[in-house]
Amino acid sequence: MRAIYRVARATFHEAWRRRFLNIFLVFGILIIGSSWVFAYLQPGAELKMIIDVSLGSIRFFGMLIAVFMGTRLIPDEIEKRTIHTILTKPVSRAEFLFGKFLGGIATIFANVALMGAAFLIVFAIKAPQFRAMTTEGSMSMEFMTGNIVKAVILSFFELTVLMSIAVVASTVFSWIIAAIFSFFVYFVGQMAEFFNQLANPERDIPAVAKALLGVIYKLLPHFEIFDIREAIMRDQFMPWNVMGKIVAQGLAYTLIVMLIGYLIFNDREV
Amino acid sequence: MNRKTKKITGWLVVIALIIAVQPLARRVSLDRLVLGINPPTPWTRILARSNQDPELAVTGVTGVIVGAILGGFREVAASMLWMKTDTLWDKGEGTHAQALWTMRLTTLLDPHWLEPWRITGWHLAYNMFVETDDPKEKAKFLQMGVDSLKEGVSWNPDRYDLYFELGWTYFDKVRDYEEAAKWMQAAIQFPHPEYIDRMIAHAFERLPDMPRALDWYDYCLKRNPTDGTAAGATITIRERYLPAWKLMEQGKYDEAIAAIDKWLLVEPNSTLGLHMKGLIYERAGNLEGAYEAWKLAGETSALNAHAQAKAVEIAHKLGKPVPEVAQSLFREKAKGGMGISRPEEEAAKKN
Amino acid sequence: MRRGGRCSKIALAIRTDNLRKVYGKDAEGREVGLLGLTLEVEQGQIFGLVGPNGSGKTTSLKLLLGLIFPDSGGGEILGYKLGDPAYRERIGFLPEEPYYYDHLNALELLHFYGGLFGIGGAKLDEKIKELLDLVGMWDRRFIRVRDYSRGMRQRIGVAQALINDPDLVFMDEPTSGLDPIGAMQIRDVIIKIRNRGKTVFLCSHLLKEMEPLCDNVAILARGQLKAFGSIESLLVGKDAIMLTADKVPASALDSLKALTDRVRLEGDSLTAYFTDQSKALQGGQVVQDTGGMLTFMGPQRRSLEEVFIEKVGEES
Repeated sequence: MRAIYRVARATFHEAWRRRFLNIFLVFGILIIGSSWVFAYLQPGAELKMIIDVSLGSIRFFGMLIAVFMGTRLIPDEIEKRTIHTILTKPVSRAEFLFGKFLGGIATIFANVALMGAAFLIVFAIKAPQFRAMTTEGSMSMEFMTGNIVKAVILSFFELTVLMSIAVVASTVFSWIIAAIFSFFVYFVGQMAEFFNQLANPERDIPAVAKALLGVIYKLLPHFEIFDIREAIMRDQFMPWNVMGKIVAQGLAYTLIVMLIGYLIFNDREV
Repeated sequence: MNRKTKKITGWLVVIALIIAVQPLARRVSLDRLVLGINPPTPWTRILARSNQDPELAVTGVTGVIVGAILGGFREVAASMLWMKTDTLWDKGEGTHAQALWTMRLTTLLDPHWLEPWRITGWHLAYNMFVETDDPKEKAKFLQMGVDSLKEGVSWNPDRYDLYFELGWTYFDKVRDYEEAAKWMQAAIQFPHPEYIDRMIAHAFERLPDMPRALDWYDYCLKRNPTDGTAAGATITIRERYLPAWKLMEQGKYDEAIAAIDKWLLVEPNSTLGLHMKGLIYERAGNLEGAYEAWKLAGETSALNAHAQAKAVEIAHKLGKPVPEVAQSLFREKAKGGMGISRPEEEAAKKN
Repeated sequence: MRRGGRCSKIALAIRTDNLRKVYGKDAEGREVGLLGLTLEVEQGQIFGLVGPNGSGKTTSLKLLLGLIFPDSGGGEILGYKLGDPAYRERIGFLPEEPYYYDHLNALELLHFYGGLFGIGGAKLDEKIKELLDLVGMWDRRFIRVRDYSRGMRQRIGVAQALINDPDLVFMDEPTSGLDPIGAMQIRDVIIKIRNRGKTVFLCSHLLKEMEPLCDNVAILARGQLKAFGSIESLLVGKDAIMLTADKVPASALDSLKALTDRVRLEGDSLTAYFTDQSKALQGGQVVQDTGGMLTFMGPQRRSLEEVFIEKVGEES
């Protein structure tokens, strides 16, 4: 545990010195900070615009951070051979892998929290104004702020899954291939339900194809479950027990992926 | 444990965990469905639709690809596309075809966003409608507008907005009051503004179906006794049209006509009076009389497409030559006479 | 299975038994990697593993450190089985051309590495001060690693390798790329470590540097052990007398060849080995008669480089 904490802490600190991560964060905050300007481009749907742009930025830049940081965590250590000085100390491979991962997660958390805070500030200032300007019937605001916080929380867990995939992919492939792989899984995972529907028994496709689609659906992380934008737009209360289940599903995915990563990394020669 | 057994155990645990997470995944999927947030990604429906509708194939498939690439960011993409739509539309008629394309893509990318469905329906049924002089073209745009709104409803079946929009398009543009009343009655199943209840009464009144119009006006009054419009309407109907309606129901058509004519003397161009007269003649089997009444109503108000369509309908039965009216062309098509019919209806027919 | 227990009673720091790791085959069909290494390194000495690039030095080192896994064979480090995590508490490692988290300064870096051992507080501060003094970095302790010169990296590398006060220190090319003074300072540190009773395992191709430093050497070529023993036993040939001379004309070569077959004339510079003293004296006479100038005559003492070339060359 000691080693996990030490490695995670060093990783977190190092992350803030990575220029590309800083740039993503700055861009994210800039776009969120100016989302209210975009909103004026969409008369009648200002609130929707501010929410779409801000949540979209958090997910988009969060995704870039998760993938580009995740795929560099281990390869950088191997390339620079710092991994040699660490693994020859009383640090097991599991501790090293999870330490690096947790450091990455801490970085994601800080980035999402900063972008989320920027969003909430812009929202708190601008939302009453926009509501006064238009009569957006569905925007009743009762649950909206709470839902926004919940959406940001779920984005964080979504990025946790994504980063675990990026980290594990980077222990198998070169980092650039790992990044492409991670993006691919992420995008395909966004439409996991699609495969489920294709595998629908009523559809007229060969049984083998159906079985294969079913397996793909079961193996793919269902990234779409983290998207609760619908609830925000309808101003529908997002029950905590459902939130809990979604988070549990996200953590289960992370655990599975990291376990696979451990099994691969444990045999990997560095 | 040696390395190998450890490894095998590890992979077995992975498989076990993947199996163990499935019930949770199903549970979450179900919960989201119940909550109505982000129901299962509708790509299959889009694909199925584009297979049946060649015109949609391009946009549909492109939508799938774009949506997949954009992954979680399709809502933002939809917003951007929607802005582009505005710009394209405002450039003038030359770019309207393009604008329709981007509108379609917007609705595919973010089908739960009501605004694009509403505006698309409006652009088609109202704006594209007036840009052409060919009644057949006009009928096509009405069809497209109505279809678009119906598709929007199918994506957002638990909100009043698009049902009302569809009802309003039938009421105001198609002037098919039967359909208008049907869709508005669907709208009020969900939280909605009060005026929609009154719109249902208006639709029945113009159809005309006076007893039902009265029911709805009474309902409005019961809920809101200060509703002046409803109060006035109930008085007018009871005084002017209800006696004639009752006579018609009893089969006393001549007396019914006389009762209406009494009021038409006071107000010769009364829409409701002429509609009543048309209906009574029709029930009495006097098609000539019905034709004259509907024709007069259609001529009195250039916008009274309902009367015009009824006149056309009866003229066909009489074998009279008639001008083409876009709305009547549309209504004929909608009744399955010819032209465009919707894929679901085709499928329904097959079954 | 025994975990963490001592397997051997002999005070060996390292013992390997036919350690094998093959990566594949080269163009000529020969196996590449480490083809069975059997070694013993006693505690308290400086041991040098020398060999050209691709000879299997780094592979051996990585196998001993548990960074890669052997195909077959095994070994013990400080009495623990190879691959047992327990010995990592008691070893140190200086990699070749090391890089470190370069946003840290010397103090932060050593705190990080110390933390991995669970050392902390005043004890760690004290240790860090001691080590930075040892490698001459205390005055530069606030400079960030990214601004380090090659030599400073090497020094901080040595310091991190010693943070846990290890009983066995592995060093990969510890002096390569350093200026002569820097190399000398590192050598001093290595000797200091040995003098404290620790074992140092060096890997290098810089034979001249290893020669005065190592107690024992192993020569590795093409994945195989070519020679193994103390420096003295390797460098001093007990069965030969060496003669060197300058300004020797080519005409002298025939007479010399009659005395010994190990004679070499490069330009006018002669090196010859004789099996006994009388032949050596005769050889000296030939040099004098042909006008050459005798520069050395005595028991053969080769440089490590010569032994190396001899041993490695045997194969090709």
